[in-house]
Amino acid sequence: MKDAGFIIASYVVTFASIGLFSFAVLRRSRSAARDIRPEDRPWS
Amino acid sequence: MTTRVARDRVTGTPFTRGLGIVTIAGIVWLVIFGLFVTPADVNQGETVRIMYAHVPGAWLAYLAFIVTALSSAMYLWRRTRSLTWDRIAGASAEIGVLFMGISLVTGSLWGRLTWGTFWTWDARLTTTAFLFVTYIGYLAVRNLGGTHHQRARRSAVLALLAVLEIPLVHFSVEIWNSLHQEASVAGNTDVTMDGLMLFTLFLGVIVFTLMYVWMLLHRQRALTLEDMLDDTGLDRALAARRTEAGVS
Amino acid sequence: MVVNDDSLGAPSGDAGLDLSPRDVAPSRSRRGQRKWVPIVVLGVVIASAGVIVTQFLTSAIDYYCNVDEIGAKDGCETGRRLRVQGTVDRGSVVDDGTVTAFSITFNDVSLNVRYEGDPGGIFKECIPVVVHGTLQGETFSGDRIEVKHSNEYKADNPDRVENELDSPEGTGCSAPA
Repeated sequence: MKDAGFIIASYVVTFASIGLFSFAVLRRSRSAARDIRPEDRPWS
Repeated sequence: MTTRVARDRVTGTPFTRGLGIVTIAGIVWLVIFGLFVTPADVNQGETVRIMYAHVPGAWLAYLAFIVTALSSAMYLWRRTRSLTWDRIAGASAEIGVLFMGISLVTGSLWGRLTWGTFWTWDARLTTTAFLFVTYIGYLAVRNLGGTHHQRARRSAVLALLAVLEIPLVHFSVEIWNSLHQEASVAGNTDVTMDGLMLFTLFLGVIVFTLMYVWMLLHRQRALTLEDMLDDTGLDRALAARRTEAGVS
Repeated sequence: MVVNDDSLGAPSGDAGLDLSPRDVAPSRSRRGQRKWVPIVVLGVVIASAGVIVTQFLTSAIDYYCNVDEIGAKDGCETGRRLRVQGTVDRGSVVDDGTVTAFSITFNDVSLNVRYEGDPGGIFKECIPVVVHGTLQGETFSGDRIEVKHSNEYKADNPDRVENELDSPEGTGCSAPA
């Protein structure tokens, strides 16, 4: 079916971009946290 | 060393961890229902499945931009002024841009299959593109530099102006003759949608909301860490010079 | 260079402290060095916003004219290039391989359309379409067709196909009263 590629592509784009964004956020915060003591984080 | 850092879930708490697990389960559920369980549409055929990602993406983008505006108002209001509100605004706008982008791409794929074109300068599509670009501009303005409060003030004012575009986007399909269909569920008392399709659409909205909350918590905390680094950066530089000069 | 002047703002206890800028980047200047990025982004944003607004203002704000609005409404004059919306009449589609001919109707007013080639999308009878083209005599010569999807979602269920046909009057597609 010719539509299948488009439909699957839309789901892949959706969840891949959300996954990449989440991964980037976690990685950036991990590198930022290297110089900050865990007890200084307001949420922990 | 690296493994210890990796195991330290910097911006995570038991709550976000639990939320993350529920969200992933929800995504799996949504994909199974969206791609396999729901029926094909009489007119659109299988293409209707794109809607379960496209519509929640658009709605959550609106929600994210509204949260940005509300947090910006909280920052500007003297009694609640706090950089936490500013960071929530910034984090929410980033996620909103992400969701709006998803909605534009999935909508474009859907448009190619149903309308026969990826893009057209129709009222809804044009206003949505403008909204998307506005919030990319908002994010750029946030990063122009200055103190945290300077950043917070200028971006808060911009956020309160930008949110005014949302009603224009939403009602564009009713104001003008538009290729885009009118709202199928929101503001429509007579919903003409198959039960399982409607259920899956709402499931999509719930799953996207969970993703939004999870990303917002993490991103907001990451921004807090970055701000703390900026604040301590000068202290640490001075401390290094003091050590160098032998001053205690 | 060693700064020994308290008037420069160094705390008195820090007399003798070397506060001069250095070429060596401090460990956290990463973000500072990329200061031009937001400015470039902002430039691109303003340019694209300009393009979007221009596109919006130069093309008709109303995306299309309904069939009954041709020659009657501002922006729908017969001499100009038009985008016309109507529902494809039942049984009107004739495809001879190179040209697809059909008629569209809106509010009981019909228009014959000639389209070179095979319309894409989900084109079929009894659905609303937007045809781009010009009016030549009584026939509308189209070079682009978009299918305007209605906001009805029904399961593609064989039992229900009979009820599918509730399109506007005058198209031959209406459900029996």
